[in-house]
Amino acid sequence: MTTHYLVLSALLFAIGGVGVLVRRNAIVVFMCVELMLNACNLAFVTFARQHGNLEGQIIAFFVMIVAAAEVVVGLAIIVTIFRTRRSASVDDANLLKY
Amino acid sequence: MIAMLAVPLLGAAVLVVFPGPARHPWYGAAVSGVTLVLALALAVRFDHTRAARPQFTVDVPWIPGLGLRFHLGIDGISLPLVVLTALLTFLCFVHLVRHRPEQGRIRALVIALLVLEVGMTGTFLALDLLLFFVFFEIVLVPMYFVIAVWGGAGRRAAAVKFILYTLLGSALLLLGLLLVWAHAGTLDMVRLAQAQGAGLSRAVQIIAFLAIGLGLAVKAPMWPLHTWLPAAHTEAPTVGSVLLAGVLLKMGTYGFARIAIPVLPEGAAALAPWLGAFAVAGIVYGSLACLAQRDLKRMIAYSSVGHMGFVLLGLATLTPVGMNAALFGNIAHGLITGLLFFVAGGIKERYGTTELPRLGTGMLARLPYLGSLLTFACVASLGLPGLAGFWGEMLALLGAFQPAAGLSRPLFLVFMAVGGVGTVLTAAYFLRMLSHLTHGRPPAGTIGGGSRGAALLDVSAYELAAWTPLVVLTVVLGLWPKALLSLTDPVVQAYLGTR
Amino acid sequence: MSTLTAAPITAPTIEYGELAPMLIIFGAAMIGVLVEAFTPRYLRKSIQMPITVLSMVGAFALTVWQGVRGVRSAAAMGAIAVDGPSLFIWGAILLLAIVSVLLINDDDHFVAEAAAVPGSAEEDQALSQGGAHTEIYPLVLFAVGGMMLFPAANDLLIMFVALEVMSLPLYLLCGLARRRRLLSQEAAMKYFLLGAFSSAFFLYGTALLYGFAGSVDLKAIATALSTVGGQDALLFIGAATLGVGLLFKIGAAPFQAWKPDVYQGSPTPITALMASGTLIAAFGALLRVFWVALGDLDAEWTPVLWGVAILTMVVGAVLAITQTDIKRMLAYSSIAHTGFLLTAVVATGKESQNANALSGILFYLLAYGFATVGAFAVVTMVRDPGGEAGHLSRWAGLGKRSPLLAGIFALFLLAFAGIPLTSGFFGKYAVFAAAVAGGAVQLVIVGVVTSAMAAFFYVRVIVLMFFSDPAPEGPTIAVPSMGTAAVVTLSAAATVVLGVFPQPVLDLAHTAAQSLFVR
Repeated sequence: MTTHYLVLSALLFAIGGVGVLVRRNAIVVFMCVELMLNACNLAFVTFARQHGNLEGQIIAFFVMIVAAAEVVVGLAIIVTIFRTRRSASVDDANLLKY
Repeated sequence: MIAMLAVPLLGAAVLVVFPGPARHPWYGAAVSGVTLVLALALAVRFDHTRAARPQFTVDVPWIPGLGLRFHLGIDGISLPLVVLTALLTFLCFVHLVRHRPEQGRIRALVIALLVLEVGMTGTFLALDLLLFFVFFEIVLVPMYFVIAVWGGAGRRAAAVKFILYTLLGSALLLLGLLLVWAHAGTLDMVRLAQAQGAGLSRAVQIIAFLAIGLGLAVKAPMWPLHTWLPAAHTEAPTVGSVLLAGVLLKMGTYGFARIAIPVLPEGAAALAPWLGAFAVAGIVYGSLACLAQRDLKRMIAYSSVGHMGFVLLGLATLTPVGMNAALFGNIAHGLITGLLFFVAGGIKERYGTTELPRLGTGMLARLPYLGSLLTFACVASLGLPGLAGFWGEMLALLGAFQPAAGLSRPLFLVFMAVGGVGTVLTAAYFLRMLSHLTHGRPPAGTIGGGSRGAALLDVSAYELAAWTPLVVLTVVLGLWPKALLSLTDPVVQAYLGTR
Repeated sequence: MSTLTAAPITAPTIEYGELAPMLIIFGAAMIGVLVEAFTPRYLRKSIQMPITVLSMVGAFALTVWQGVRGVRSAAAMGAIAVDGPSLFIWGAILLLAIVSVLLINDDDHFVAEAAAVPGSAEEDQALSQGGAHTEIYPLVLFAVGGMMLFPAANDLLIMFVALEVMSLPLYLLCGLARRRRLLSQEAAMKYFLLGAFSSAFFLYGTALLYGFAGSVDLKAIATALSTVGGQDALLFIGAATLGVGLLFKIGAAPFQAWKPDVYQGSPTPITALMASGTLIAAFGALLRVFWVALGDLDAEWTPVLWGVAILTMVVGAVLAITQTDIKRMLAYSSIAHTGFLLTAVVATGKESQNANALSGILFYLLAYGFATVGAFAVVTMVRDPGGEAGHLSRWAGLGKRSPLLAGIFALFLLAFAGIPLTSGFFGKYAVFAAAVAGGAVQLVIVGVVTSAMAAFFYVRVIVLMFFSDPAPEGPTIAVPSMGTAAVVTLSAAATVVLGVFPQPVLDLAHTAAQSLFVR
């Protein structure tokens, strides 16, 4: 049954979403975002199976590549800020406020 | 026609680009003088037999994409206001030639006043709703600066209050205009007025009248939306107060007569009792507030609230008599209050204050000309028969005696009675002020705490030049009201569909 | 698995001619990367700058040419829509991008060596050697290419890719400010994390809609709305999460939190590019998704967007009043303007009504874009010893120090406030008129009230500049470079011209909007 995969994907997405909101380490937050992207991938592949067309599987490849690019950019940003502050906690990033 | 707008605008532009040497007030006087001549020329060439129809119209598409047309025209109700605007602006410049504000920056002031003139004239000339709104808004910015830069001690707060109120007001106005546009499909005031609200359902008319009415009522100002006015008047420099009272307030009541009532007759009929109630509340409130004032300029400001109450009451009756009264009252108030503020400004310059207790008594003895001008202006303002102020109030009350069909007569009779009490109160406060200020013996020694007491100058030549036309016109209109009424009446009749 | 052993693959057709504007930009971006790799450091800037500007001008010319030719089609197998709105948006983005690049070209906005820790010896060394990151130019080109692709994408996958192509370079660019680097890096991190979060939402929405319709093509989704039954949960959750991703990009409340932080922390030229280009692109995409794919679902999404529009206008206007930093204030004002624009997005109806709303939005976006680029250009010129003078109190009395600059800034502020005879007034009028005609009167009430509130704080800044006494050691006014001067002049001219004689542009927007979106 494809439903199980969809439920799993929804769960992964939710875990990722909650993680982004509650975790404090930028790297972990970022990993949670990646988890969300991969939850999407799972959903795409499942739906492709359900509909019997290839689109979803191809989209999954696109998403992987985009996610890879995102990792490059994201890690670059997080590493620079870590080098400056010696900390990757988003709580320490507090210069910009209302 | 276009020159009326182009001359001051070019004048301002030239001044922005070429700072030039001093003598800016002369320059301003010249520019506004040319405008005044143009306005007078228009008045002379105006075809009085066809006053109901817009004349000298200019109608070119400006932004067809938004349905905005550069549609100008002049008819019986806009002509007097246009002339009044040109006159008061010119007189303000004449006044400025000698009596410069302490803050300096005279060039900027001249520019601001010229832009202000463009906006004010344009508001009265516009025959397209959106164009009306555009000019209506243009007025705000220079006026704000005039108050904020050249005003008195509390100018910052006053200017903020002014801009907040009027911005919210124009926001509502814009909303009403959009409603009219969405349902009637046109922005042409002439066509809308001819349609007499056809095509607009009653509900839409009421909502639109409410929105437009509130927007205009802020400007008029109608009680209880008047609270920006005393602050703005008191803090504004003399020329600012004169234009504010003389012209800006008229834009609100003119809007009622020009847009709200003819375009949305059913909305007007439904809400007229409310308008009337707020109007008489304003009359009484204004008079009572005047009695309590200790500051001359503040007092005049509150008296404006009362006078505009009469104008609004006249409008609320929806009768030709009432509307004519309102339009007459507009002009009369512009002349008289303009004069009052000039005189008050003159007093402030001499005594350094406008607080009544510190002004002391015996102005007539000390400064006979100034004192008698003040007396004249006050007497005119309280509505002495034979002077311009009388007719506006009198006719408004008469209109309330016999309101339009469909309006509750007993209610308007109450309004009339209350309004009548208001006139008495008005008389009371002016006379009290006069008896205190002008009569009696001048105090020995210093006045107003200053040591300049002995060296007070009476009315200067420039002041005299600026003030005389107002005095003359007040008398002329008081003795010969028909001159004005014959202009406004045809338009009013056409708008109310009584002819 | 028999269904997946499909027919022989036929090569897709791609209309290179129609996509040429975008291809030029991406091509130039790649050449820019090669230039970084193969030319000596001292030559790079003098090569990159012309490549960037020329490619943009070329792309703009091609866009105009296509507009004249009347190209209206879905190119690349229906994946990219080259229709009226797309062409207008491309033109607007390219114009604003050219203007922003002139601003970016000023040397001292960007960090000398991004990898060097702020305040370290390496940084001093890089500064003294006059190091500069010329990678900025290709990055900007990629971002602009993404901005062009985003609103033109006719299927959700392309839209997602475009979103990332647009955003990733911007994340990096945000962190490259020369001064206040901590702030800048922080802005980059926030933007990146929140942006990635929102694109995950976008993607999940795409996945669900794909599950619903069996395709990510906008047209196919629109058809599926009427043919597929019993899958409402997928449809609604999908549309909602997709909407979250899009609303985040335009900065609508409650997803507006990134905007002030990012606008304040980024190098000001990049802020200008984001505030104008990204907003336009994201609005185009939002419109396309909601009007084309979910057009028949409007009974469901309009109430939500109503709420969002009201919240956005109120939040933008109210919070802007409390700001003390000029860039933050402009950010909140951008949020308020987003809300004004949303009023017209909601006002759908018959086709002519949609066309009116669309042309109003397009005009507004262009008018706002120019005013905003101009305003940020002025911000770059008011300097403290440590960088730009951000705090509003530093702007006191600017009118006395530099009347011309303050006057121009006042002009932009009046345009934001929507005072007549500036571009903002007609933009706002067009949008509100469309909303009233579309029956969204209550929204317009909120709109006019909040725009009056907003006008108040713009005027407050004007008063501060002209009527307050200048601070004793007030900021200096940088002598503008040719580029900055040109930007300010151009934007001011556009603001005035669009305010006095907007007809040609309105016509253009109207023609562009007539065809609506290609389906």
